[in-house]
Amino acid sequence: MAEKRVLVIGSGVAGLSAALDLAAAGVEVDVVEQYEFAGGQGIRLSCKATETCVKCGACMAGDRLGRALKHPRIRLMTGSSIEATDRNGRFAFQIRRKPEFIDPSKCNACGICYKQCPAEGAIIQGTSGHHRPFFAISEKVCLYLKDKSCTACRDSCPMSAINLDAMKQTELTQADAVIVAAGFSTYRPYEKPYGYGVFPNVVTNQELEAILKRHGRVLRPSDHTEPGRIAFIQCVGSRDTKLGHLWCSTYCCGSALRLARLIGHRQPQIQTTLFYIDIQTFGRTIESYYKETKEKIRMIRSIPGDIYPSENKGLKMTYLDPMTADTLQEDFDLIVLSVAMMPPAGLEGILKMFHLDRIADGFLSLSEDTARQGIFAAGAVTGPMPLAEAAASGSKAAWQSICYLKTA
Amino acid sequence: METDSLIALNTLNHGRCRTWPFLQDFCLTCGICAGSCPASGVDGFDPRKLLRMIALGMEDVAVSARWPWICTMCGKCANVCPMDIDIPGLVRRIRSLRDREKVPGITHKGLQAALETGNNLRLPKDDYVFILEDVGEEIAQEPGFEGFSVPIDKKGARILTTIHNKLVNTHTEDLKHWWKIFHAAGEDWTVPSENWEGTNWGYFTGDDAAMKIMTGRIAENMERLEIDTLLWPE
Repeated sequence: MAEKRVLVIGSGVAGLSAALDLAAAGVEVDVVEQYEFAGGQGIRLSCKATETCVKCGACMAGDRLGRALKHPRIRLMTGSSIEATDRNGRFAFQIRRKPEFIDPSKCNACGICYKQCPAEGAIIQGTSGHHRPFFAISEKVCLYLKDKSCTACRDSCPMSAINLDAMKQTELTQADAVIVAAGFSTYRPYEKPYGYGVFPNVVTNQELEAILKRHGRVLRPSDHTEPGRIAFIQCVGSRDTKLGHLWCSTYCCGSALRLARLIGHRQPQIQTTLFYIDIQTFGRTIESYYKETKEKIRMIRSIPGDIYPSENKGLKMTYLDPMTADTLQEDFDLIVLSVAMMPPAGLEGILKMFHLDRIADGFLSLSEDTARQGIFAAGAVTGPMPLAEAAASGSKAAWQSICYLKTA
Repeated sequence: METDSLIALNTLNHGRCRTWPFLQDFCLTCGICAGSCPASGVDGFDPRKLLRMIALGMEDVAVSARWPWICTMCGKCANVCPMDIDIPGLVRRIRSLRDREKVPGITHKGLQAALETGNNLRLPKDDYVFILEDVGEEIAQEPGFEGFSVPIDKKGARILTTIHNKLVNTHTEDLKHWWKIFHAAGEDWTVPSENWEGTNWGYFTGDDAAMKIMTGRIAENMERLEIDTLLWPE
């Protein structure tokens, strides 16, 4: 495999799993990540273990990122996008890299820049110890980059790590094969009757993950108090013909049950209710938490219809109780919507670049024909899947690539 | 809502209902319809179960049951249904299969009256015109509305409005709001002296033929009075 090189698009669990397997086989790997921080959406999740591991996979992204960063044959380019591509035998790529405003060799992750910055969202925080530098500057929001009106971060940085005049860079690279691991986007449930975006205590499961990751426990966004009663609503935006989402997103039953279990363990005074249609048992690990969780939380086989605001930013929810056939109104302090996985934003550019198509659902379609051209895919860009499956899918794509490189 | 007889799926007449061939097969029984329905729970009504009855071929049970008549046809269920199932359409079809004499409440009687006399109340034309003019005179006595009169059958007006029967029965005060706005806006409007009924209870009883007659009469009024804009508040 000497002198063979593969370009991986996306640094989530799938992309990094592919990169590590390729590198282990002696292949040089370039990983292109458009976001400022590597690790994909998986790295933003919190571990769901209590005294026992429930195999949620949240550690997978961090584990793979840590190993990829150390691997001499893997080059990880964050804040990067492919500007142009060509193929004459090998693939040739022109990659645009965002300016390196914060020098990773100098930054000590003290967070003074983050605290000093007056523009909300201009300095973005990492979510993993593997994120170095731990902060990044948003080109869109930073006041200096807009009109040079602020240098608070640069002036306050004790390590002189910040250079607001850094320039974007262009890299040229070649590859013998490509693995598309561009991930997924999540459904923003504004059109559902749950007041998302209106009531601060209606959040998505991703937002709940962020709260847990940040505070270690569940707090209400409105007032940072501990909720007494939490409701999960499943299938929000999944199995939905109106939205054109006919798929089950496969990750959300496992995610909600594991979250409910974790919350029950860390904050036993919270009462959790899960509103669901049916429990989808994807993966082999559901038995490790399902039976136990089912006994500890309230499970109601019905999807609620309405949410109204009540006192103290509480939420009044209506649902049909299937046991009594009564329509009930019940108060909750926090409502979590388990939202659908969708094809990633920006997939169109990748499709054009490699002359690829979508399957009917909108996810990436690959065929034997694309495999013959050395184009492979991994992870949720091919369809919704949980983390463990994304990792396996990355390894599979690496294996396919190696087979291709041997014959090409 | 129980039946002793066995239900044979092959007795379900798919052709009878536009939405019956397959739509209810998409139902995930998620229950969001029942959770958002303002009438659900009344007499045990549950749109999810009604849909399931049809899917299971329990057509005769559904047609003779009270449930389809509890629905207000507001359409909220269909609005939130993730599988885009036309539940009010299904309810309407079930209603249409019931013997007309067994249609509950006043809906069928009111509809019969409307078909025979032009309005649900069997209100004679003279009484109707008297009520309208009486309300018009009351408005004319209010400051700022001097000289107000009700334009009945005004040929070539810009807008034709229909009247809900309750507005010339128990809710005459509610006529005034519309009319005052028209007056203040200088609108050129009129009301018909015959076939003025704006409600169309064929919609609620599932009677397509009656619905067509009622709608046709409004169109006839527009043609007769040479008006091309309709204000149909129902």
